Amino acid sequence: MPDILYVEDNPDEADIFRRLISRMENPPSFLLLSSGSEAIDYLLQQGTYQGQSTPLPRLVLIDLKLPGHNGFEVIQQVRATSRTCYLPLVVYSTSDNPKDMRRAYDLGANAYLIKPESYHQVSEMMRLAIDFWLTQSQYRP
Amino acid sequence: MQATADLTTCEKEPIQWPGFIQSHGLLIAVDPVEFTIWQASENIEELAGQPVASLIGQSIATIQLGDLAGSLIHDMLVIAMRSGRPEAFNPYPVKIRGRDWLAIMHQQDGALIVELEPTSQLHGGLAKPLHSLIAQAMSDIQRSKTLSQLLEKTAQQIKQITGFDRVMIYRFGEDWHGEVVAEAREEHLVPFLGLHYPASDIPRQARELYKVNLVRGIADVEEPRVPILPVNYAQHNRPLDLTHATLRSVSPVHVEYLSNMGVRASMSISLLYRSELWGLIACHHYSGPRFIDYPARQSIKLVSQLLSTVLEIRKDDEESEVSDRLHDNELALYQQMIADWDVVQGLTKHPITILDLNEATGAALLFEEELHLLGDTPEPNEILTLIDWLKNTTPESVFQTNQLPNLYPPAEGFRTKAAGVLMVVLSRQMNEYLLWFKPEQIQDVSWGGNPDKPVEQTASGELRLSPRKSFDKWTQIVRNKSQSWQQVEVALALKLREDLLQIVAGKANQIRALNEQLRLANEELEAFSYTVSHDLRSPLSSIKRYTEIYKEDYGDLMDDNAKAIFDRIVKASDRMSMLIRNIMQYSQVGSSGLARRLLPMKDMLLQLRDELLAGETTRDITFQIEETPDLEGDQTMVNQVFSNLLSNAIKYTRSVPEARIVIKGSQSNQEVIYAVTDNGIGIDMKQAGKVFELFQRLDSAASYEGYGVGLAIVKRILSRHQGKVWFESVPHQATTFYVSFPRRIS
Repeated sequence: MPDILYVEDNPDEADIFRRLISRMENPPSFLLLSSGSEAIDYLLQQGTYQGQSTPLPRLVLIDLKLPGHNGFEVIQQVRATSRTCYLPLVVYSTSDNPKDMRRAYDLGANAYLIKPESYHQVSEMMRLAIDFWLTQSQYRP
Repeated sequence: MQATADLTTCEKEPIQWPGFIQSHGLLIAVDPVEFTIWQASENIEELAGQPVASLIGQSIATIQLGDLAGSLIHDMLVIAMRSGRPEAFNPYPVKIRGRDWLAIMHQQDGALIVELEPTSQLHGGLAKPLHSLIAQAMSDIQRSKTLSQLLEKTAQQIKQITGFDRVMIYRFGEDWHGEVVAEAREEHLVPFLGLHYPASDIPRQARELYKVNLVRGIADVEEPRVPILPVNYAQHNRPLDLTHATLRSVSPVHVEYLSNMGVRASMSISLLYRSELWGLIACHHYSGPRFIDYPARQSIKLVSQLLSTVLEIRKDDEESEVSDRLHDNELALYQQMIADWDVVQGLTKHPITILDLNEATGAALLFEEELHLLGDTPEPNEILTLIDWLKNTTPESVFQTNQLPNLYPPAEGFRTKAAGVLMVVLSRQMNEYLLWFKPEQIQDVSWGGNPDKPVEQTASGELRLSPRKSFDKWTQIVRNKSQSWQQVEVALALKLREDLLQIVAGKANQIRALNEQLRLANEELEAFSYTVSHDLRSPLSSIKRYTEIYKEDYGDLMDDNAKAIFDRIVKASDRMSMLIRNIMQYSQVGSSGLARRLLPMKDMLLQLRDELLAGETTRDITFQIEETPDLEGDQTMVNQVFSNLLSNAIKYTRSVPEARIVIKGSQSNQEVIYAVTDNGIGIDMKQAGKVFELFQRLDSAASYEGYGVGLAIVKRILSRHQGKVWFESVPHQATTFYVSFPRRIS
């Protein structure tokens, strides 16, 4: 079972994510998916994941601008499905547009993180977020 | 007459039933089959040698008129009646006691009426040969360039034929008052040309009679009239209808009227235009009796009929010429509007304007909330009030009157400019109207007497209808009336309205299309902004992060020179990132929705102060917040305005040892104004024009970081709030930026 599902189409972001996870003391397990459609299929066990066992992560990190279904649509689908409706969903996006934030929360995102530009800020943000959602926060659906 | 006499009394007098004839002739009415005598004029006694009463019921063949045997008359009647139309062979010459007479016959009221009149004693032959008369009339018509010329020639010709002292041509107005438009007279007579006569001078039933009986005359007003006996004819209980009798005696009222003018003999000939009475040829003789015999009357009748025909043609020509010209002008206005693609310009800014569409002397166009005036018009406020009244008065799309002051009393104040108004409604919703004005037609009319006093009181106290004794000229001013609006004027106003509305609709469609293009462009811009934000910032972040990672992982292997190069890469990507962020903010101000609400300003400003001062811990900054009235606006945008103004204030006071920043709000009924003052480097007013321009930076700011976006954003936000931004600056002393937000009652 992956601790984190990270939905991200930008290979650089994915690479940096992998790198900073690998530098952690107790690195969590993660699954990287590069499109919104694939994320929906995985979480809802449909499409190419139909009939397969797809263990739910403890945290979903999701970019908003994605090929195919975008981040908003993924949030909407996840919240509309009983299996995943309480899944911790954290938006992780470059956008600081208040409209995007508002919309994400309206659809049921649990938190909204703006991607920092510096590597050090990124790695600090991820360390804190992963600590919060995987260690501090209680999740017993 | 009754004591209630008024102008209509005259209109009720049955003038075709007088039962009297003039004394210069004889009248006999007979049964048209048996030729027994039903009625005869009293003066027949002289010739017949027996009283009228003894003649009644006898056959005409049994009587004797002087030396003219009744049997001859009887034979003449038989011949006349054989054709069925006895008047076709008029006149029938007869000789009585050596004198030539003419018998004139016609059938009326079931009777055959025989009138005997002498041939003219005045001139051997008054009547010219018919062909020469026609030739003369035709050549006059051809040589006359104008209608008044033709009328004058005709008057002269009639005077020549008849020998009357005065021949006038009298033209009726719309209200049936008459004007003398041509005159031929003996030199010693006072001219009547140009005089007007009130409608009551020729009452309605006289006008009706004039349409049927084209020529009639009075040979001598001083001769007593002769009764026709008995009063009622045959088995009828009424006098005979003398409508077509040439000897018919005229109304005593008319005789008195003529006497007052000193007229001894008169004749009038009707002029018809499209079966309506257009005017009269009126002949007066002052020096003695004047009898115009039948052949001369027929000649005059011919001339007047020719004139009537010409009137029809001339009037049609004149009308169609005017109408053609107005139609051409209407077309020109339409083309001007299309060419300019502008209603106001097309209608008012060319040599041909809406004033050329009719006979109006002033015009007003209320269009797109602006009033445009042409020619002689009332004042703008008077017109706007008038429009308010008009639009509530009529639901129609066109309204016209030639006596506005009588309908709308305030118009009396501007009747010299607009006693008549023609209005077309362009759009009630948009409050758009087009109006034309005609001035009061101050008719300085020369009346032939006072038209207000046709009724006079007799010595016995009865009111009685009497023509005026005084014929002195006097002037009456017809108040509050303009020329009336012609059919063609109204029709063209409506045509122009159609053309105008078509152009307005065309423009509206064009604007709708442009709006749609604008909306699409805005959507594209928003999409573009989003792409810029995301797609440019992501690779930029990658450059920055990998540079950091490289320094972290391999920094130990780099010398100072290499590290400096890497620092430059990081700084350059920081600057680029900031620039992208600024552009994003600027474009978002234009595209994002405006969520206006009342904002608690004190909290916002305190928070901004804390955030902005957090990075300036080493500096000595006095930051003073005074009155903070709340204002209505979009929270994010207003926050951005103050964030930009305050960070500028902090930035540009960096060189000052003791920076001082004051923020102060004030409010009036209309707006809330905030002033942000600092004692920084300030702005050279010579460069004031650049301050709010996008990407423009002042010389003095060259050494400060920034891209010239902040104040452009402020200006854009204020403009979206219908607010204002301005500033004043004394460099290094006080620079104040003001922003004002309108207060809305919502």
